[in-house]
Amino acid sequence: MTAASRQNRQQDELAFILHSHPFRETSLLLDVFSRHHGRLAIVARGARRPRSALRGVLMGFQPVTLSWFGKGEVRTLHSAEWQGGQPYLQGTALMCGFYLNELLVNLLGRDDAHEQLFDYYRATLQRLAHEADHAATLRCFEKHLLQELGYALELEREAGSRQPVLAEARYRYVIEHGVVADDGRMDGFPISGKTLLAMTADDYSDPQVAQQSKQLMRVLINHHLGGRVLHTRELVKDLQKL
Amino acid sequence: MTVSYLDNLMAALRCLPGVGPKSAQRMAYHLLQRDRVGALQLASALQKAASNVQHCSKCNNFSELEVCELCASTRRDEGQLCVVEMPADLLMIEQAQCYRGMYYVLMGRLSPLDGIGAKQLHLERLVKRVQQHPCEVILATNFTVEGDATAHYLATLLQSLGVRVSRIARGLPVGGELEQVDSGTLAQAVLERRELTV
Ligand SMILES: [Zn+2]
Repeated sequence: MTAASRQNRQQDELAFILHSHPFRETSLLLDVFSRHHGRLAIVARGARRPRSALRGVLMGFQPVTLSWFGKGEVRTLHSAEWQGGQPYLQGTALMCGFYLNELLVNLLGRDDAHEQLFDYYRATLQRLAHEADHAATLRCFEKHLLQELGYALELEREAGSRQPVLAEARYRYVIEHGVVADDGRMDGFPISGKTLLAMTADDYSDPQVAQQSKQLMRVLINHHLGGRVLHTRELVKDLQKL
Repeated sequence: MTVSYLDNLMAALRCLPGVGPKSAQRMAYHLLQRDRVGALQLASALQKAASNVQHCSKCNNFSELEVCELCASTRRDEGQLCVVEMPADLLMIEQAQCYRGMYYVLMGRLSPLDGIGAKQLHLERLVKRVQQHPCEVILATNFTVEGDATAHYLATLLQSLGVRVSRIARGLPVGGELEQVDSGTLAQAVLERRELTV
């Protein structure tokens, strides 16, 4: 290691592996979400060698502590340590995990720390492992993610007039503007006051709320994705058809 | 401007995974400077393989025949079908001599973040296979998150068709000592512990 790279060394940083690609003959290129440094690309040299101890540690959806060095676009992994405490995601929960990662990979810039979002991601993986209603878990995460990216949703007040949203009234959600009273115009996404208030409270127990909030979040996330497709959605749709 | 044969060769070598411009140059110089015979053998082997190796119509593994030797064998148990990601995985199971059933090679795995979904894996071939030859399916995809996702998808798909499905167990290496095992494997082994009946 050179003196310069030693200076750029990070020690025992809490992180999750969002995705990994084979790299060169025996290495892995990791897409990492770290608590203090945000999303990073890190090369794990030799991680694909048959007896590499890194293999069982660099697993997705598992908290790890990573040490790396180097600056610039791709860092080099020095060591990785298993943290444990997160059950393996299985079945539908695993598919939901991929959805979270695909959102993060597509919407989170590099080298931008998002500590709150990191903690929320970690808590969300716990919820996926322990709770049965994944839809509510995903809606909460989507809302948090948009908020962290600077697109906080104001759902309990009308944009402009600042009038509080009423449960029994009908509204439209206009992208990059907010909630407006439904006066028969065609723009925006139609949504009930009840759904808006339930989303504010993160309560998705009502089936109609669950349905409308899913559609609204889909519209909003698609807007921020700017045409990029989420493949996990396709996969989940295919699964539901079976 | 015309591209020289040498440039052409270096550009062609870069289609290999993990080969960048430097490695391609090194390989090209080696072949032309030190091993012309090897170079010609490589060219002819590539030519023959690329034009003759297809996928076995039963197991999807590489084969020069319509039905590969393993699938054509009368000494295999048609009642079991082991699904693996890659041909190398099939070879490993064969080497372990623990299985006498048939195989299906996916030639990949589901990986939504790489854009590889059910369509890209051509799972309809596997479905056709199972419908034509009813059998128990053993899922032997890798114990990576993508391998697990693939197993989940296949289990859902096959069970909807009334197929009996099982997943190979993960565990500690035989003859291995706990202190030499990585934490992830150990954690899973503790989680998936079995009751001992004496
Ligand atoms: Zn075959």
